[in-house]
Amino acid sequence: MTQQELHNQRLLKEAEEHVMRLQTRRHFLKESAMGLGGLAIGALLGGCGNGAAPAVPSVAFDPAHPMLPKLPPFAGKAKSVIYLHMAGAPSQLELFDYKPELQKLDGQDCPQSLLEGKRFAFIRGVPKMLGPQAKFEQRGQSGAWVSDLLPHLSGVVDEVSFLKAVTTDQFNHGPAQLLVHTGSARLGRPSLGSWVTYGLGSENENLPGFVVLTSGGKNPDAGKSVWGSGFLPSVYQGVQCRSEGAPVLFLDDPKGMSRDLRKASIDAINKVNQQSYKEFNDPEILSRISQYEMAYRMQIAVPEVMDIRGEPDYIHEMYGTKPGQASFANNVLLARKLVEKGVRFVQLFDWGWDTHGTGADLAIDIGLVNKCRETDKAVTALLLDLKQRGLLDETLVVWGGEFGRTPMMENRDGKQNPFLGRDHHTDAFTIWMAGGGIKKGHVHGETDEIGYSAISGKVDVFDVQATILNQLGFDHEKFTYPFQGRPFRLTDVKGKVIKDIIA
Amino acid sequence: MGTFISFTGRFHPLLVHLPIGILLMALLLQWLSYSQKFKALQPAVPVTLLIGALAALFSCITGYLLSLSGEYDKATLNVHMWMGIGVAVLAGLLYVLTIRGRRLLVNVTGALLLLFISVAGHYGGSLTHGSDYLSFSFDEEEGSKSVRKPIADIPNAIVYTDIIQPVFQEKCYSCHGATKQKGNLRMDVAGLLMKGGKTGPAIVAGNATESELMRRLLLEPEEKKHMPPKEKPQLTEQEIALLHWWINNGASLDKKVKETTPDAKISPILAALQGGSVEEADITATPVVAAATKDVQALRAAGATVMPISQGSNYLEVSFVASTQISDTIAKLFIPLKQQIVSLKLSNTGMSDAVMPAIAQCKALLRLHLDHTRITDKALPQMTGLTNLRHLNLVGTEVTADGVRALKVLPALKAVYLFQTKVDRNGWAALQQAFPHTSLDSGGYIVKTLPGDTTKFTKPAK
Repeated sequence: MTQQELHNQRLLKEAEEHVMRLQTRRHFLKESAMGLGGLAIGALLGGCGNGAAPAVPSVAFDPAHPMLPKLPPFAGKAKSVIYLHMAGAPSQLELFDYKPELQKLDGQDCPQSLLEGKRFAFIRGVPKMLGPQAKFEQRGQSGAWVSDLLPHLSGVVDEVSFLKAVTTDQFNHGPAQLLVHTGSARLGRPSLGSWVTYGLGSENENLPGFVVLTSGGKNPDAGKSVWGSGFLPSVYQGVQCRSEGAPVLFLDDPKGMSRDLRKASIDAINKVNQQSYKEFNDPEILSRISQYEMAYRMQIAVPEVMDIRGEPDYIHEMYGTKPGQASFANNVLLARKLVEKGVRFVQLFDWGWDTHGTGADLAIDIGLVNKCRETDKAVTALLLDLKQRGLLDETLVVWGGEFGRTPMMENRDGKQNPFLGRDHHTDAFTIWMAGGGIKKGHVHGETDEIGYSAISGKVDVFDVQATILNQLGFDHEKFTYPFQGRPFRLTDVKGKVIKDIIA
Repeated sequence: MGTFISFTGRFHPLLVHLPIGILLMALLLQWLSYSQKFKALQPAVPVTLLIGALAALFSCITGYLLSLSGEYDKATLNVHMWMGIGVAVLAGLLYVLTIRGRRLLVNVTGALLLLFISVAGHYGGSLTHGSDYLSFSFDEEEGSKSVRKPIADIPNAIVYTDIIQPVFQEKCYSCHGATKQKGNLRMDVAGLLMKGGKTGPAIVAGNATESELMRRLLLEPEEKKHMPPKEKPQLTEQEIALLHWWINNGASLDKKVKETTPDAKISPILAALQGGSVEEADITATPVVAAATKDVQALRAAGATVMPISQGSNYLEVSFVASTQISDTIAKLFIPLKQQIVSLKLSNTGMSDAVMPAIAQCKALLRLHLDHTRITDKALPQMTGLTNLRHLNLVGTEVTADGVRALKVLPALKAVYLFQTKVDRNGWAALQQAFPHTSLDSGGYIVKTLPGDTTKFTKPAK
């Protein structure tokens, strides 16, 4: 008998003993008493008038095959999503929202009417107005305004729909990021990517359905909850991959362990799990079994798809990628590769857009310029590369931050900052979408002449979420999951699909 | 006094439910009491009837007060009123009869009462919810989406009847139409629409800003006077723009589009009306029989992901995204599913021309991904029967311009992706000309590396 067989035999024996222990007479009595009590309580609670809320999820959940592809309620235009989140909130006033009037007010005191009844994260007293710190031009056939900080994106505006009047109600990074990704400023709700993988499954059983890639040297303020699964089964949370070293931690087999031995041990563990499933009928055990099996397959599939060294030179030239370095550009290229392989939702976070003017890196005329330089080429390459591969019409690309920035110069604690900067602003910012059945070369919404608030086409983050779900084939009002006695949905009680940007 | 009357009148929709329920209960008790088992219920009948009769009386009074508002269709209202009064009278009569205890008379009167309640109830419902309320939901199910017919000839379309009226019909007539005239405004007759309602004329011809109609539409949805009420379907931005344009052009009833002043904001909206607001329906709108489970299973066993396109649809999407090398013999598995497959993804599978006879039979195909396969020019002429095909991906194959030209007979083809193929760059313009309605994507896009892309910007502090 080999050592490995011996090991497996021991594991099985242990599991059997465990089962025997549970089947003693005392245990049986205890179990059945609890069981009866539980039944009674269940019946009591069940009768407590929650008849209005059907306790069935709107999508069937199969614990043994959680990632099996599932079908949307209606045929969606988009098959997958790449969400590029510029964490820290980029300034719309330097990138997309051109305000010549604001230039005229540059350096003047902010009118009292704009400050009354408002709270800002850092602005105190009366700040000065700050004119646009970039040169703007109308681009492409559609004539969308884009500043010279984004020279590459300027060339592809005819593929994009801009939402120029997005609003939110959170002015701190953490809650605002949570709101954008989970529909709630508090912790505990499932993220957009989790909802999508829960609803659609993954097209490729060898890869996770929801992958997260971060850059900029920092995770988002809201922590990993922005890609958490909340109350949805935990298999739907985002899998964070690294663009340097092993893409997933502990992906490689430990030294001395062969692939066959790994397979054997996973089989043994699954056998034990099978047995405890027979015993307890807990669906989470089936999920666990399927996760082990997927992890085993991922060991081959993930390094292959996560390796950008195999990409041809023209691709590296196009994206500006350098294999072996952690960068936003590398993540963008990975996103394309993942989507090509059937991954449903790829979430990118790039930290560093929080341009308060407290340091050079956070200055609106220095740090922001560099963030644009780091990202512009890769984002543009992504759109064009998806297009030439025939993937753009079924891949929805979303770009945006968690809120906007003020038309006023930030005066932290009432004093002037060493560099030019803008504070957090909730009343108007820009998000753009492309591909996945979204209109090409379109602008929706408008802000007032200084870019302070929305005057037409005003949408909020729930509307954006509703639109993303719509493109994937879901009615955001019917896509629910029962939890704590009521059906929950991503957009909760809000959200309207932005029909104007749908092709 | 006027406010008191209308206030009391508003209770009518609440009160009417009392006599309906109580009187039905009384009839039920009466008829049950004929059986030996429920005989004990008999004494409860007269008192229930009395309460019901009184409730009916109060409903009649409040109903009359409500009718004074004049917001309802006269003819329907008349039937409803007399039926309601009939209910009250019959209930009183029945009360007397049950005390005297003449069974035959009681039964006849009871049956009559039941009839009156039903009729009065139905007309009451028509008054509040509109006469098409009962049948409406069926229509909605049938037609799934009420898509407005595209207008064929925009310049010669009559602005009011072809463009404006459909908007009113969809969003306004249910409260301001033949059966109901809230605020005394009736919109389905042009003359009455111009006359306006309680607050004066709804439309000031030639001046949208002054028109009450526009003012109400543009109020915030939370405002009480906003129209349509916020729980009803709202007008879209485009529809509001159209109304604005129509009123500013004199709110004419017979002007044609070409007789109005051109407007940069309106032209794209009008253009959209021409195409029909929705993309023309594809084959998936026509139902198809479900595929046999064993055929689907066979394809799955070969490594494919096979999924219906959406819940309740029998059309299938087939993808080999998780597999790499598969043999050409798999293609025969497509044949039993040829009616159902609308999307087929064979990217990176290494399949060759040998699969094409099978694919050519899948006439329902809308999307076909053959990128990075061994498909060549020889396969393309076989595809000419794929009349539904919209998207064809040939990226990374050996096809040439001559081969691609064979596809120009495909009527529905919208996009062909030809990146990294043998299509000659020089012949590109000529090739594109052969496909006037199809976008051919050559790929090979270049994102130039600018000096800024690799350097860091610095600037001294001020």
